[in-house]
Parts: sequence; C-alpha cells; structure tokens
Amino acid sequence: MVLRDYGANLYVADIVGLSMVRELAPLITAIIVAGRTGSAYTAQIGTMMVTEEVDALRSMGIAPLEMLVLPKLIALLIALPLLTVFADAMGLFGGLIMANTMLDLNPATFLSRLAEALTLHSYLSGIGKAPVFAAIIAAVGCFQGFRVHGSAGSVGRQTTVSVVESIFLVIIVDAVFSMAFAKLGI
Amino acid sequence: METRQTFADDSTGLAAVGQPNGGCVIEGHGLAMTFGTKRVFADINVGVRPGEVLAIVGGSGCGKSTLMRQLALLQTPTSGSVTVFGATLTDMEDGRAGALRSRLGVMFQNGALFGDLTVLENVSLPLQEHTDLSLPLIEQVAMLKIALAGLEPEAAALYPSQLSGGMRKRVAVARGIALDPAILFLDEPSSGLDPISADAMDELVLQLKETLGLAVVLVTHDMDSLWRVADRILLLSDGRVAAEGAIHELVDSSNAAARQFFHSRRGRASGAMYD
Repeated sequence: MVLRDYGANLYVADIVGLSMVRELAPLITAIIVAGRTGSAYTAQIGTMMVTEEVDALRSMGIAPLEMLVLPKLIALLIALPLLTVFADAMGLFGGLIMANTMLDLNPATFLSRLAEALTLHSYLSGIGKAPVFAAIIAAVGCFQGFRVHGSAGSVGRQTTVSVVESIFLVIIVDAVFSMAFAKLGI
Repeated sequence: METRQTFADDSTGLAAVGQPNGGCVIEGHGLAMTFGTKRVFADINVGVRPGEVLAIVGGSGCGKSTLMRQLALLQTPTSGSVTVFGATLTDMEDGRAGALRSRLGVMFQNGALFGDLTVLENVSLPLQEHTDLSLPLIEQVAMLKIALAGLEPEAAALYPSQLSGGMRKRVAVARGIALDPAILFLDEPSSGLDPISADAMDELVLQLKETLGLAVVLVTHDMDSLWRVADRILLLSDGRVAAEGAIHELVDSSNAAARQFFHSRRGRASGAMYD
C-alpha cells in the first residue's frame, strides 16, 4: 500500500472524496447511462422509424422532435444529476469501507477528514457536469435513432454507433471541463 | 399550442378544398426522386380530383410508395413541387407542411400504430393534438371513426399487438380519417391480407369514398382492388408515367407497359372476373 508506506493514510479521505465527487461519479454515471439509456433512445426511435411510426406522427402534423425527443431530453436532464448524487454517496461510502478495512482508518476520522476536504464548490463542479452529459447522451441517442432507415439491422448498427459516440463525447467533454476548471481555478 | 393555432386558422380556409386549380385537390408537378446516382423517377405530373380513387401501380421498386409519400408531404422530392389546399411546397421540412399534413390522412403499409397506446388512444391522438374538444367528446369522435372503419367497439380497448393484420389496417384507416381529411392515402391496403379481408378492405375504401366524399390515393399491387375501387390508374414504369386512365382503357390500350402489366397472368385472371 503506497499510501501507508508514506504515512499518508489520512489523506485517503481527501483523495477518494475529491476524485469521486469531482470526476469519477459524474463520468462513470454518464458512461453507464449512455450504455443503458442512450442505447434505449436510439433503439426506440429507430424501431419507430422502421415501422413508419415516425412518419405516422408527421402525417398527423405532430413534430417528432416535440413528441419523441423533448420528453427524453428533459427526463435525462433531471435523472442524470440525481443519479450522480447517488453515485457520489455510494462512492464515498465505498471509500469509507475501504479505508476502514484496508487502511485501519476509522469511519469517524474518515468522515471528519472528508468534511474538511470536500467543499460545496467541488461538489457542485461535479454535479454541474451531469446536465451537460445528459444533453449529450440524449442528443446523440435521439439523433442516431432518426438516422435509422430500412430494416431492423439498421437499428442495431445505429444503436452501436450511438453508444460509442456518446461515451466518446462524454469523455472528451469531461476533459474539456477539467482543463477549463483548472484554468479558472474552480 | 402553436400547431393548434395554425390548424384552427387553416380550417377556416377549408372552403377552398375541392375547388383549387384545375379541379384537383392535390397536384404534383414535375416530381422526381433520385437516390444517390440512381434515378427512381423523374418529371411526374399527377393530380387527384375530388372524390376519386387514384391508384398508383407499377413494378416493385418503381417508386410508387415514394411518390405517395411525396404527395402526402412526407418526403421532399429531389425536384418538383406539390400543390395542396392552395399552397405549393417544394420542401417538406417547410414549416407549413406540418399544418397541411394534419389535413391529409395516411394509412401506412403495416399500420404504423403506436404499440404503447390502445386502439382508442391511437385514434384519439390526432384529435388531442389538433382540437380543443373535451376528452369525452374526443373519445366519442374516435369511437365513431373506429366504427366507420368497420371495427367492433370492443376492439377499442385492445393494443395493436392483440390485433390481426386486417384489423390493424382498419385502425390505421380510422386514425387516418380522425381529423376529417379531404384526401386519404393508402399504402398497399390489401397486402398481407387473406382474400376475404382484402375484399372487405376494398369495400371499406369504396364506402369511405361514398360516405365521406374522400379523394383516395391508393398504392397497390392488387389487381382485384384495381378493378373494384380505382377510378383512375397511374402506371409507373421506367421512372415515368407509362399510362394513365380508367382500367378498361389501360387493359385495351396498345401501350407496351400497360399490356405487360395488365396482361400478366394475374392481370388476366382478375380481368376475366370483372369483365
């Protein structure tokens, strides 16, 4: 255990706390949601393209964007930040267990260190990224859904593209956030 | 809210329906479709008169459905324009297209019903979007349309997955006529049906045409439907209109494409029955 060798046990709370709340929780949540929900968006809209249901909507004078995309976007804008909060809590709890069992750091010490290390600022800078990731996942998922044409095979292809693209974009945008935060000193 | 407003505004102009240019309710001018470098059809002029059934026929892949989709304002033609309700459109993503589309009824080939909604909800959906009627009233109107399409009231509570192919097409027709369109587009109404259901579908088209005064655009392969319901036939071949006219004229014409189509073995068989 490298930390223990350096007598840095105590800092595990700082490291776990900050990395979890600022980076890992929002990013991993977004990646899981991209795989789970982004793909579902593409598959649903794609299937509706194949069965001409999207055309049926248009033929009724209903804009598919309004009926199919907007509710999904709003739902994800609400759900992803909430899931990120949950991921924060779970990640910190995991860190507490790990520090207790492997580094003999008792939970009370861990929590008090955590309270010092974690500022509202860093917490919000993590949560704040979630709506941006949500918008990326919903936009890519729906866009790829509308690109489906022809057969069921196309639904599968676009779903794959959707997941790869949204995960890729989420990681890129997360990196951009990190650089921006570093520059701005947030 | 905005679409509702446009629709209300447009419906005041409903008097114009049925009497625009050249006596046609909908007209396509010089319609063309090209996929990549492949030209499907070009320079097609077509008009549908009020209260007539126009059938678009031709071999598979000749662009019948594409032509219908262009006329129904669902697909932007590579070139050409569609005139309907006094508006001429070249781009179907045009903002006006949405409001105009809600005044056209379309039945898609396999129904294109929304799987999460019951039959009643499927038929109610366009009414909910475009009218300010109360919910009980919407349901009454929807039930009327369901009955007009020849379905039992019990079918209203079912989901599309619980319906047979023929019933699904009827629900699609009911949804298509929900907003009292002036024109109804039918994409292969009798394909995939058993002979009895296919006959019943033909009767339904005739009935709708007579009771509601609808103009109907029909895409079909079915020779029997052509004999039974079509007032006029547009035969597509080699990317152009090969022949146009009533079925008797086409059967007796010396036009090569028409002879090939109507004197196929199937064509002759149904011709013998109806002659």
